[in-house]
Amino acid sequence: MDKKLIIIAVVIAAVVVVGGISASLLLSKESKTTGTVYYVTIAPKDMKATLAGGSIDAYIAWEPYVSDSVVGNVGDVLEWSNQIMPNHPCCVVAVSPDFLSKPNGVNLTERFLKAHIEANQWMANALAHPSGANYTALVNMAVQFTSRNATVVKAALEHVKYGYEMNQAFRNALQQFTDMYINDNMTTTAKMQGLGYSSTSDFISKYVNGSLLDAAKSITPSSTILNPSNPIRLGYLLGDLHQMAQVVAQNTTAFGGTSMFQKYGLLVTSATGAPFASGGTEMSLGFASGSVDIGYLGAPPAILNHLNSGVKALIVAQANSEGSGIVVKANSGIHNLGDLVNKTVATPGETSIQFLLLKMALDKEGLDLKIKT
Amino acid sequence: MDGNEVVINITHLSKSFTRERGRIIALDDFGLEVREGEFVCLLGPSGCGKTTVLRIVAGLEAKSGGSVKVEGKEVRDAGPDRGMVFQEFALFPWRSVRKNIEFGLEVKNVPETKRADVSKVLIELVGLKGFEDAHPRELSGGMKQRVAIARALANDPEVLLMDEPFGSLDAQTRNLMQKELLRIWSARRKTVLFVTHSVEEAVYLADRIVVMTARPGKVREIIDVPLNRPRDRTSREFIAIRSKVLGELEEEFEKARAAELSPE
Amino acid sequence: MRSLTKSLSKAVISNWLRLTLSAVSVAVFLTIWWLLSAYLRADWPFLGVKPYPLSTYERLPYWWDVLRALGRSFVTNPSPTGGRFMSEHILASLTRISIGFALALISAVPLGLLMGRSRNAEAVGRPLVELFRPIPPLAWVPIFLVVFKFFWGPIAIVFLGVFFPILLNVRLGARSVDPVLIDAARTLGARRSTIFVKVVLPFTTPYLMTGITVGLGIGWMCIVAAEMLGGVGGGVGYYIFAANTAGLYDLVYAGMVMIGILSVLTTGVAGLIERWVYRWMGMK
Repeated sequence: MDKKLIIIAVVIAAVVVVGGISASLLLSKESKTTGTVYYVTIAPKDMKATLAGGSIDAYIAWEPYVSDSVVGNVGDVLEWSNQIMPNHPCCVVAVSPDFLSKPNGVNLTERFLKAHIEANQWMANALAHPSGANYTALVNMAVQFTSRNATVVKAALEHVKYGYEMNQAFRNALQQFTDMYINDNMTTTAKMQGLGYSSTSDFISKYVNGSLLDAAKSITPSSTILNPSNPIRLGYLLGDLHQMAQVVAQNTTAFGGTSMFQKYGLLVTSATGAPFASGGTEMSLGFASGSVDIGYLGAPPAILNHLNSGVKALIVAQANSEGSGIVVKANSGIHNLGDLVNKTVATPGETSIQFLLLKMALDKEGLDLKIKT
Repeated sequence: MDGNEVVINITHLSKSFTRERGRIIALDDFGLEVREGEFVCLLGPSGCGKTTVLRIVAGLEAKSGGSVKVEGKEVRDAGPDRGMVFQEFALFPWRSVRKNIEFGLEVKNVPETKRADVSKVLIELVGLKGFEDAHPRELSGGMKQRVAIARALANDPEVLLMDEPFGSLDAQTRNLMQKELLRIWSARRKTVLFVTHSVEEAVYLADRIVVMTARPGKVREIIDVPLNRPRDRTSREFIAIRSKVLGELEEEFEKARAAELSPE
Repeated sequence: MRSLTKSLSKAVISNWLRLTLSAVSVAVFLTIWWLLSAYLRADWPFLGVKPYPLSTYERLPYWWDVLRALGRSFVTNPSPTGGRFMSEHILASLTRISIGFALALISAVPLGLLMGRSRNAEAVGRPLVELFRPIPPLAWVPIFLVVFKFFWGPIAIVFLGVFFPILLNVRLGARSVDPVLIDAARTLGARRSTIFVKVVLPFTTPYLMTGITVGLGIGWMCIVAAEMLGGVGGGVGYYIFAANTAGLYDLVYAGMVMIGILSVLTTGVAGLIERWVYRWMGMK
């Protein structure tokens, strides 16, 4: 008798599976495209080795992992991210609303942003004078932070645009990303409206908060640390050159022993789990669990995780734009996006800006992007 | 009965082995002749080595000294010419009654139809008609032993060796099986060497009873049982022989118990 | 067909008590799930309660939403995680499990039999087994993914997970063969090789089946975890991992349910094969 019950269970399970599979085959709305490009998800730090090893044909990542392959003669850049979308926003500074609502939270955040602004200004100056001492200091910091050598770092720095303003073009771009996500079923209008936003533009206007940045500009230094017992828990991504501002702002050696954070009266420490492998991880493990107060991460994961599961991380400043690229194996014969059909590209994950840009680029060519099975 | 040919010839059999406690002499100069068609019981206290004798004749254990001949040939290894029935039944649980019985025939590559003929006859002989496709777990102890007997008989052995086969059965089944065994034996007159604890059983079944000494085992006394079968357990002759055997045995039981108790 | 339904309905009727208990247990579970979800979002019947933050209750969707997401994942929602339908992910995971499982079976069974019957083989194999067995297969993920690449990497992980339960169980079975059965076989004329085929093998089969059932369960855990960790192309584990990163929790649960269903399927099939082999071995 026992055997009969097992058979019943197996039959039911089989019916579900077979039914599902036939439903897929019969009812699905398969997009008719001219070709498919396949992707896998790998941490950018492993992408160069994987490309060299031959398991993938290309990858898209943030600097310095692009220049790393170029300098190492492992790969060539097929396309830079600014060729896919000029001035595209990339990393942002986001703050947890819980942190803001704490006593002194707004003040601390504004001070943080002031340090962020000053770091950016210092970096702009250093990059403009490559023969100066500041440039050398910047390169050293970057080498330490990314664990790449100076040649790679210098090449990488040429392709990243640092900035902090959030102008209208920035907001429009973010809205465009949101629309893309809805279009691709990564999130839904229903979810967005469920959170209280009537439209994507409404969402962006509420989720991107420029007032703190404006207030930050008039912050003055502080002689004492204002939060000695409650350091700001900072989230950031592993070796992400886009997020140099926070590296600069924490540095003491180049600034006579006082970091910019300290200058403005802030004690900052790494959040639990930092450095995170991706923005998505930072959102779902960091912000969601309340272990990150302020974080640097890509704008897309900040948007996506918020809409899908309500994790709150208000975007309060830009960190950089551009600075990513598609790398193909050296001498691979791949010269344009069309050549990527049936090949495998590694991405940092579906929630990353790099994935979004890749999809954007392929959509323009009428190509599909699917995970490699 | 065919002649007085000696089928099992054991002379000066000795068996010893070493354990943590030291050297143990299980058998010391054991000797026995069993003639064709005889039913001989080995009787003795625990540890006297009666099962060891049986296993050596079966070829399952090696002797330390002496000679053991079956049909004139020295015993070296186990074989189908010496069928054995075990106290634990030893039926193959994944095989049906019929398949168990046919095991030895399969080993000999006997063709399927011939096997079926043989097992059919034997199943009927041991009284298990209707249970051909049953599995051992569905059978009672008595039924299992019937299968074991049939299985051993399927190979048409020279000798049937039985190691306390009814020891795991309850008293009633035991009596029944003793009767059944005699019935089967009267149909297939094999030479039987039967090991038991039970005096009653030995007197009921055997032509001759070999009373063994406590360890180290040798023959203490061989007692004839010249009664006609089927035997009446309550008859005077039966009781007389039983008392005689019991007398011989009791002394050995005492010796065995003393040996167990004294630290060596 | 009619006799099948007849015998199935007979089975249902004769087991009605057990079936009812099982059904009740599932119903209770689903009710508790519903109540928890409703409580977190202050939905009926907890209307007066203060709702938890969205990021909390989003992680416990209503169970019917999960089922709906599961259904959709096959059809109208090519999974945003991977651009593929659930069916393709299932296929990917099933393929890996099957190959890894088959390889483990082929290597572990002979090895287990050998180690169970031969003291020397046991002495040779024992230290290696004891060394590698405690290492969780997942620890090998980073190494295997690089060495064996995308196709064979997860298969190697499954292999490792399935190999040891089968090996150990077969070895135990081979060692545990009742000696009296071997004695009986000898007195029936069987030589060593015949004893191996006609006694050791059938005796070990139930142990093998235990090893297979355990191995299959571990295999599923390995493949899912390997897919989750590795970001390796596709599969149900990857589906869960990617949905998690995107914050699509109803898809996460849908993926988990899917794995449960697949596990029932494979374990059930293994159980049926077990009975078939048992019968084959017995009648042989």
